[in-house]
Amino acid sequence: MIVPARSNPGRRPAVVAGLLAALLLTALVAGCTSGGRSGSGGQATGSTAAPAAPAAPLEVQVAATARVPPGELSAKQAAKQAAPGLEKFLDRYLTEAYVDAAGGDGNWSGLLGLFDTPVRASARKQLDALSLGAAAADVSAVRPSRASARAVVLYGPQRPEAATVRLAFDATADTAQGSGQVHLRSVLQLLATGEGWRIAAFDSRTGPPK
Amino acid sequence: MTRGQVAGSPPRRRRAVALVGVAGLVVALVAGLVVAVSPRRPATAQEGAAVTVQRAHAGSATPAFNKRIVLLTIGSDSGAPKFGRGGSMERGRADALQLVVLDAAKHRGAVLSFPRDSYVPIPGHGTNKINAAMAFGGPPLLVATFERLTGLTIDYYALTSFDGLTDMVNKVGGVQVNVDMNLRDHFAGAFLDKGRRKLNGGQALAYARARKTLPGGDFDRSRHQGQLLLSGLGTFQRQVAENPARVMTWLDVLRDEVRTDVPFPELLRLALLATKVPPSSFKNLPVPGAAGMAGGASVVHLQPSAYSLFARIRAGKLS
Repeated sequence: MIVPARSNPGRRPAVVAGLLAALLLTALVAGCTSGGRSGSGGQATGSTAAPAAPAAPLEVQVAATARVPPGELSAKQAAKQAAPGLEKFLDRYLTEAYVDAAGGDGNWSGLLGLFDTPVRASARKQLDALSLGAAAADVSAVRPSRASARAVVLYGPQRPEAATVRLAFDATADTAQGSGQVHLRSVLQLLATGEGWRIAAFDSRTGPPK
Repeated sequence: MTRGQVAGSPPRRRRAVALVGVAGLVVALVAGLVVAVSPRRPATAQEGAAVTVQRAHAGSATPAFNKRIVLLTIGSDSGAPKFGRGGSMERGRADALQLVVLDAAKHRGAVLSFPRDSYVPIPGHGTNKINAAMAFGGPPLLVATFERLTGLTIDYYALTSFDGLTDMVNKVGGVQVNVDMNLRDHFAGAFLDKGRRKLNGGQALAYARARKTLPGGDFDRSRHQGQLLLSGLGTFQRQVAENPARVMTWLDVLRDEVRTDVPFPELLRLALLATKVPPSSFKNLPVPGAAGMAGGASVVHLQPSAYSLFARIRAGKLS
């Protein structure tokens, strides 16, 4: 005889309790796992065996203004037109200087290719002020948290010719000894070429937050 | 009844015990879930900046050139409607003539100021006042005249007018000049007291033009013109140090007010280089000459020491 469960009030609480106990165990196991991580994470020299949080995609926020020749685009139009190209360039710069530099082999040709020829040799000598630099060898991953830029673009006939960019970049870098913040604050003087932008001069600093 | 009551008790007790147990489990479950879903402290020290990944570094650079750059700056007396000067700027007479020589590697240079009445050979036009060369053949002939005179290769020229100079100075907010004498020159409209002054466009033009009441006449005027150029450099550097985006402002102003054969990429590089070359590392050198006459006109004959000066510049001796 099949008896509906609800017709037997004496067995219902036990069934519910069993289900809840199973759920409870699952939840507690999950909680304990979390708690275990928390315990190790409190140490400055946390193990890199634990997976890092997934990196947010690098996205440079550019706020641009423009100076335009008489009779050309409006300054507003010019700034709007120039912004995507600047974003693309700065994205590439930060990718070369930080994101892809982590664990790199010390070959900075991709980054140095973004500099105008008359300033490239100086950039090569000052990589620590422009990128992860020598620290790159110890870094396994860079997770961007903020990338923003303010740009003043000089427009020529129908196209940008030069720009001054103030770039700010903050990220977390993971090493075997733990993780730490890295920062970049730069003023870049950019020259527009047929192939995009090139850095014609810079004033830059890197390192931990002040 | 009692039995009946007793007999009826165990199911109720079991139910009560079960309910209490369920309630306890629910509480425990909720607690477990709260623990499970609450934000975790990470295994790595990513929130705590636990390690110093990179020490602080600072660096800067402007374009580096290992060469001498020679720029002829020209002030035309034409193409200035605001001053009632019609005609083409390029076909006017060149009333202000400076040769800016920069040793880009050593970050030092010289500004040679030429009297506009310098009596010199002009290719294809005999000998005449140097300021006539532009009227004869535009900036290219003026450049050729200077190259023949000095033996220097001139890389570029930059040409402006009365309107251009005044607008340029006004647009950049004035220039700081060490006025080196009290000026009361009503011909040029120059009324300035000696000392460090911020000149607006009109005052700067007057300072560059004043001649008749100056003790050194055309030579003092040439020197003032060179001084004005270097004052502009100093003003540029101060503004850019305060706000690097001022480089764009100055380039924008130059584009509007100056005609030049400097390609834009080179212009930007030179402007950036100029942010690092102190005006004090430039010598302001009026080219030596003596007043004279030629064909009934007053002219300036360049002295032998002028040619010695050119030779020293050619040899790279800018100090």
